[in-house]
Amino acid sequence: SCSRAKDVTMPAKLPVNFFSTRSPVIDLFRGQLDYAEQLRQDSEIVLYFFYAPWCGQSIAARDEIEHVASRLSDQVLFVAINCWWNQGKCRKQKHFFYFPVIHVYHRSFGPIEYKGPMSAVYIEKFVRRVMTPLLYISSRSKLLDFLSNYEPGVIGYFEFNASPQPPGYLTFFTSALHSLKKDYLGTTRFGVITDKCVAKEISLVHSGSVYLHRHANTSLIYPNGSMNFTAENICKWALENREMLIRWLRPHGGKSLLLNNELKKGPALLIFVPYNPLAEIHPLLDEITKVALEYHNCNKSQAAEPKLQHLRDSDSPAFDSSIPDAQTELLETFSISKYPCCNTVVLPQWHSISGTHNVCELCINQTLGVKPNKVHVPHCNFLEIEAALDSFYLLERTFFQVISNTIECSNLLSFYSPFNYYTACCRTVNRHFLSFISSEKTIFQTPKVAFSSHGKKGNTQHSIPHIEDRNWFIPDHISGTNITGLSCRTNKTLNLYLLDSNLFWIYAERLGASRSNHLKEFAAIVDLKEEVHYVLDQNRTLVASSLENFIKNFSILYSPLKRHLVDNPSVHSPEQHVITEVTTHTFRHTVLLSDK
Amino acid sequence: RERVRAMFYHAYEHYLESAFPYDELRPLTCDGQDTWGSFSLTLIDALDTLLILGNISEFQRVVHVLQEGVDFDIDVNASVFETNIRVVGGLLSAHLLSRKAGVEVEAGWPCSGPLLRMAEEAARKLLPAFQTPTGMPYGTVNLLHGVNPGETPVTCTAGIGTFIVEFATLSHLTGDPVFEDVARKALKALWKNRSDIGLVGNHIDVITAKWVAQDAGIGAGVDSYFEYLVKGAILLQDRELMAMFLEYNKAIKNYTKFDDWYLWVQMYKGTVSMPVFQSLEAYWPGLQSLIGDVDNAMRTFLNYYTVWKQFGGLPEFYNIPQGYTVDKREGYPLRPELIESAMYLYRATRDPTLLELGRDAVESIEKISKVDCGFATIKDLRDHRLDNRMESFFLAETVKYLYLLFDPDNFIHNDGSAFDVVMTPYGECVLDAGGYVFNTEAHPIDPAALHCCRRRKEEQWEVEDLMREFYSLKKNKKFTLKRASDYGEGESENDIKDASSDKAGEKRNSKNSHSLLSCPSQSFNSKLAVLGQVFLDNA
Repeated sequence: SCSRAKDVTMPAKLPVNFFSTRSPVIDLFRGQLDYAEQLRQDSEIVLYFFYAPWCGQSIAARDEIEHVASRLSDQVLFVAINCWWNQGKCRKQKHFFYFPVIHVYHRSFGPIEYKGPMSAVYIEKFVRRVMTPLLYISSRSKLLDFLSNYEPGVIGYFEFNASPQPPGYLTFFTSALHSLKKDYLGTTRFGVITDKCVAKEISLVHSGSVYLHRHANTSLIYPNGSMNFTAENICKWALENREMLIRWLRPHGGKSLLLNNELKKGPALLIFVPYNPLAEIHPLLDEITKVALEYHNCNKSQAAEPKLQHLRDSDSPAFDSSIPDAQTELLETFSISKYPCCNTVVLPQWHSISGTHNVCELCINQTLGVKPNKVHVPHCNFLEIEAALDSFYLLERTFFQVISNTIECSNLLSFYSPFNYYTACCRTVNRHFLSFISSEKTIFQTPKVAFSSHGKKGNTQHSIPHIEDRNWFIPDHISGTNITGLSCRTNKTLNLYLLDSNLFWIYAERLGASRSNHLKEFAAIVDLKEEVHYVLDQNRTLVASSLENFIKNFSILYSPLKRHLVDNPSVHSPEQHVITEVTTHTFRHTVLLSDK
Repeated sequence: RERVRAMFYHAYEHYLESAFPYDELRPLTCDGQDTWGSFSLTLIDALDTLLILGNISEFQRVVHVLQEGVDFDIDVNASVFETNIRVVGGLLSAHLLSRKAGVEVEAGWPCSGPLLRMAEEAARKLLPAFQTPTGMPYGTVNLLHGVNPGETPVTCTAGIGTFIVEFATLSHLTGDPVFEDVARKALKALWKNRSDIGLVGNHIDVITAKWVAQDAGIGAGVDSYFEYLVKGAILLQDRELMAMFLEYNKAIKNYTKFDDWYLWVQMYKGTVSMPVFQSLEAYWPGLQSLIGDVDNAMRTFLNYYTVWKQFGGLPEFYNIPQGYTVDKREGYPLRPELIESAMYLYRATRDPTLLELGRDAVESIEKISKVDCGFATIKDLRDHRLDNRMESFFLAETVKYLYLLFDPDNFIHNDGSAFDVVMTPYGECVLDAGGYVFNTEAHPIDPAALHCCRRRKEEQWEVEDLMREFYSLKKNKKFTLKRASDYGEGESENDIKDASSDKAGEKRNSKNSHSLLSCPSQSFNSKLAVLGQVFLDNA
């Protein structure tokens, strides 16, 4: 089709106000970029909102910006610039591929482009981060707060007794701003310590040192020697080395491979929670963090424990009194000793009438001294015990002969892992003696063991019934102990992700979240490779224990989880049709059970 | 949706007031002009949009106006292609929809009627153009005298291959096979002349069958040829047409597709000749959704959408490496293609991104091109200067697709769950069961009517009793099994707008046909492919 040139044309309409004149946003609708630059000199923090008047996204974002401006107008200057009008300076100097574009300046530093969701709360959060890129950590409790967060944290220690500013502080400050350029959601938090004692907690002694906190791996100190101390380097180092135990997914709406790339890494647990970035506390997130830390707590160190403990306590007003405790916990973080994990097995006796039993104490990775500790409950995980039992049963013949009153110990190698070995110490006791041992062990804080009946007994080479001692008190956190470090022990390791259900609920709906779900809380495990997904029972509230069970059930060999099939929610009344539409729910009834 | 409706009436009323009976409104000068002939083109084109907006009374009024006022016995040189898609297509769809609009229909309807006779008359005026050695038509014909002596034999590919939907419909309804025959012959001639690597150029000499313009791509000059292979295959349940398209599709993917863009290449060598994206190419994702290739469609759509975001419209040519418009091709005549694709894809995926495009389009068109007398073509997307023209496809297509995007319950989206039974002198007919096939000017054709009238002519439709097929399909997030088990009616349940349920595979003679005409089930990850997320390597 060809178009004929016509003589009559009309220039585009002249630009008009985009924001109302009463708005706290200064609207440069003629694109006066030069004037915008001038205005920037007057304010410490400036936000530029570049828009095109015809653009639906700009129009939608307008109200959000207005909202943020009304809340921050006393501290931040908001300037909107029409960057479309072709007579305007802005259009002549800048070349944007989309609208709106938001730039934030901190004094001369900038522009920092905001690429997050166009929603007022997120924008406000971002602007606030630009205003105060460093969090001042004044006390031990603040430090714990900072470290307990699920998002990575970077801490700089600077002594402020020198005037005017300690060397390197400005660089560190700039690196925090710098990180916002790349990490526009502000997932990596930057804090600063000025107090020597607080700094010692994380073994920082020299002013000017920078520390990257990690939960599962050892934390790092910025290598001043090998890398120059520049803002870019610090920021790069932090982004490269940070650990993400649980990640927010925030698709930006444009074409993106985000989910593709993340989900192809392996099965993923997607947790949908409504999230307000401005809220002070996020109790549900804290619970999820707890689960995530447990899950990744691989070396069974107690490293994660203080923070967990802190998370649990942080709500309680009595927290301040527990600071000394917290301190000891923190110190112990760095002197981790491994606690054994034991299980008592009563061997079947050939001569059952004799009234005696061989009792074996089966321990994993036994270390020499068991230190009683009133805070830490040594975690023992049930999978390992089970593996140990398997090894043990295979070799149990060797223990049958032991009938003596001395304790004899021998080591067994695990056939699951070359790094683990088990120790079995056996002796013969009279039946009535058993209870005594039990109670004794209790006093000595012998680790709790999560028992579970396991069906493998019948498969061992002896078809001899085993009696396991079930007199142990029932652990109060069966689930809690079970998932500790699970991520390293299963070959179905899950990646954990969070999504804000205020923005991305549609993914939950796609995975089968029911429309009646008003809480907008939802969890699903998606395995792209196997093309299955599982959904956490939606009638149960999303709490730590249900998540833990969900993860456990996914991890075990014969998973009881049922593949979730998504159904078409809008089923029409099928009566009057010649052709009936069949959906997932009605398939069985209509097709398989039909007479035709 | 209401804003779209208001848009329609703003443009429509000003056309009636200032421009009728000319073909088009000139929105800047508030008068009319003839562009493609002289048959009140905008009115014909907008007719079925009226019905889709639910305005029955105006539809009825216009039908009467047209019956009285339009005359094709005029000494006018008209584009064969444009006359076919706008006039013949518009009249056919109005004819088929007239009962729904409460127009009194004669006894033989849908196989006879005044609008059908008008369409047939218009189409007969086009037939002389097909009298060439190759069977490929001339581009222009005089409605009174036939092909002018000295008329150029060079026609664009789309001008040759865009007849099957209207002409086959005419043949089925009237019983005169000549229309379908010439359309098929032209299609086959193109197929025969494709290059060794399986591509067609964009202009050919219809006498010698030599390619004059050897740029191969999916856009201007070629676009609706591919579209009609698919839509023809669906409408007629024709495996041959679909097989042709799938062959082309393979070659197009091989040679022109880069990073979800489709470039222009030399048709014999496959070397890139123009790295541009054309506004007209934006129909492609919609077409892909019709063959069930939803994830590729979505990926390409998202590319095109970024161009819209940059300018508030799609320039006729967009240079992909430079990321900017191409000189002298910076206009946007309010074309429908991207919105059309959004509508098809929205039927398939329900992705809110597609509604977002709809919102953007409404904002852009209102803010940029609305003037006192209607909506003006954007002459230059760089500064939004306006031109004194409002093409008839604005009311026929752009507004229609926009409205349908926001009106998921429109009767036109019928997926087969409702239908009408009509008594004709030849027996009972099932009509309006959904599965409307839009021609390239967005005029819907009811495939059921074709079958109904064809049955009258061909009594040997006995194999239909055996037609009972299950076709598995998956509405992207759900595994939906749909059973088509109607006996004898030959009701093609192909809801072509609903990519998930399109194309009933009729197991008539060959098992092979099933796979050709039915959609593949969607991959597992498609349930998460919304809000811009795309997945690689679904194979």
